[in-house]
Amino acid sequence: MLEIKDLHARVGDRKVLDGISLQVPNGEVHAIMGPNGSGKSTLAYVLAGRPGYEVTGGSVLFRGQDLLALAPEERAQAGLFLGFQYPVEIPGVNNVYLLKAALNAARKHRGLPEVDAFEFLQLVRGKMKLMQMDEAFLSRGVNEGFSGGEKKRNEILQMLVLEPALALLDETDSGLDIDALKVVAQGVNTLRAPDRAIVLVTHYQRLLDHIRPDRVHVLARGRILRSGGPELALELEARGYDWLLAGETA
Amino acid sequence: MTVPAPVLPTTRDENWKHAPLRGIERLRWAPPTVLTQEAMLAATALLGSESPHGAIGARIVLVDGLSCPELARGTVAGAGFRAADSVKPPSEPTASIDLAFARLNLHHRQGELQIRVPDGETLEVEVVCIALACGHPALRIELGARASLRLFERHLGVTGALANLALSVQLGHGARLEHARLLQPADSARHFETLEAVVGADAHYRMIQVTSGAAATRSTALVALEGAGADLGWHTAVLGAGTQTHDAYVRVTHDAPAVRTEQGFRGIAADRSRIAFNGHMRVTARAPGAHSAQTLRGLTAGAAAEIDLRPQLEIDIDDVRASHGATIGKLDADMLFYLLSRGLDPATADSLLKWAFIADVIARLSDPAWRSRFEDALAPLLPGAHAARSLT
Repeated sequence: MLEIKDLHARVGDRKVLDGISLQVPNGEVHAIMGPNGSGKSTLAYVLAGRPGYEVTGGSVLFRGQDLLALAPEERAQAGLFLGFQYPVEIPGVNNVYLLKAALNAARKHRGLPEVDAFEFLQLVRGKMKLMQMDEAFLSRGVNEGFSGGEKKRNEILQMLVLEPALALLDETDSGLDIDALKVVAQGVNTLRAPDRAIVLVTHYQRLLDHIRPDRVHVLARGRILRSGGPELALELEARGYDWLLAGETA
Repeated sequence: MTVPAPVLPTTRDENWKHAPLRGIERLRWAPPTVLTQEAMLAATALLGSESPHGAIGARIVLVDGLSCPELARGTVAGAGFRAADSVKPPSEPTASIDLAFARLNLHHRQGELQIRVPDGETLEVEVVCIALACGHPALRIELGARASLRLFERHLGVTGALANLALSVQLGHGARLEHARLLQPADSARHFETLEAVVGADAHYRMIQVTSGAAATRSTALVALEGAGADLGWHTAVLGAGTQTHDAYVRVTHDAPAVRTEQGFRGIAADRSRIAFNGHMRVTARAPGAHSAQTLRGLTAGAAAEIDLRPQLEIDIDDVRASHGATIGKLDADMLFYLLSRGLDPATADSLLKWAFIADVIARLSDPAWRSRFEDALAPLLPGAHAARSLT
């Protein structure tokens, strides 16, 4: 699904990614953990094509395609979804329109006709029920006036409607209380499928109590320092990151 | 009625600095005296078919300032076109240069459309002004005590047309006017207008205006809140493109106790267009407890586009609450990336954000069918807007 080789990137004059290599096969959930400023969010933005994040070396294959050659919207249409750590508010653009426009953009890319309005609303209502969201959110501006938790639920709602091949969820658990975390995790888990992959970017083990990853990677100083199974997350929770960083320095 | 041709302003005059005045002295201001068959056909074509969102009460049509009953729909009690000879001229037109185009209208007008709503009555009417060559349409609106009018006013025009509108509004005690205006003349047309309004005690005047056409427009509005508790909402949006110039000067005089004004402006200047808005709020010593709020916002969407926003406050009394703010910027890069990351193509994302920028102006319209008409009118300019409406 996703193959990253020796990826280097910078933001302005600051080198942030320093040779990341990572493979995420179909059907797997990977967690990327790491201390603040380690480059986790930068990796997510680079993969999504955010302007200002300059790739200076390496390659990324997404479903066999050169991901870095695609514009941000082409990456999304090809099936990549970024769940933002801080979803932006867009007053004046209704949630329901964004959902429909995004779904139709993906369908158009696959050669499918635009979704029927009735079917679309049925689909969205079903997903909203799963995310325990009030339908009133549909007619509100995108994330406008939403609480932090509501914004995160809205991100997962969009993901559920779009059914991407690869979901990159950037600190989706931040700002969530325990009940909201369970709802969000449930939404993510419903998306697990053999032909899909999920990459969770997180600081904490607690999200992984609800979404069990197949692999855990530690990202620090712009590189993957260690990879392992779910037990690595438990070890990080118990020991922190210092021992890994010390080993790296040594 | 003989009114001397007035002296026209120049960009050296106060409040006219950004006005599209170049070459106005060479324009042919004299209007046609009759509507030819050819003009009727052109007006019919421009008017188009009925909106799918339903008719708005009765419709009155003026073509180059002349009444055109053939294109009217229904009848409006209390409304009628009075020939210039039967219209009493203003007692003494003020010499202010701000009223120069109103005087020009008075000099050339061939009649006046009068809409009078008696005390306590309610009316809904659509007025369409079509410019084919040169017209000086004149519209007088008078609402009696507690009368209510919902007025939908559209301006259309063909290439090269010239229009100079004079609009007079008088609201009696407790009257309510919802005034929706859509200015969409053809790209090379010119449109000048002068609005004078007097708002009586406890009356409500709600203006919602969108300008998205014409090579050049200049709007002058002088509003006086003369009765205690008068309430004004003035919300306008302008979309400039190509080399268009859109300039507006709005002066609101708060001249009675506890009067209120809320003014919002949204301007999007694309390509090499220029947009200017000068909002002048005056609060006199006769207006204790007045409240004035101004929010002016501009969006430059072209490398050579220009926006000039000037909020002005002139206050002669301490007991007043007044706020004003003006911001000019570009499309928000974070919002744009968010939409792109959801698969929207750049053109749609761009349109959608521009639509969002002006949406709160249109949202002020009380009737969803009216909002739909505005959205339809803007759909060709902002393709994302059309789709946005389909589910909302």
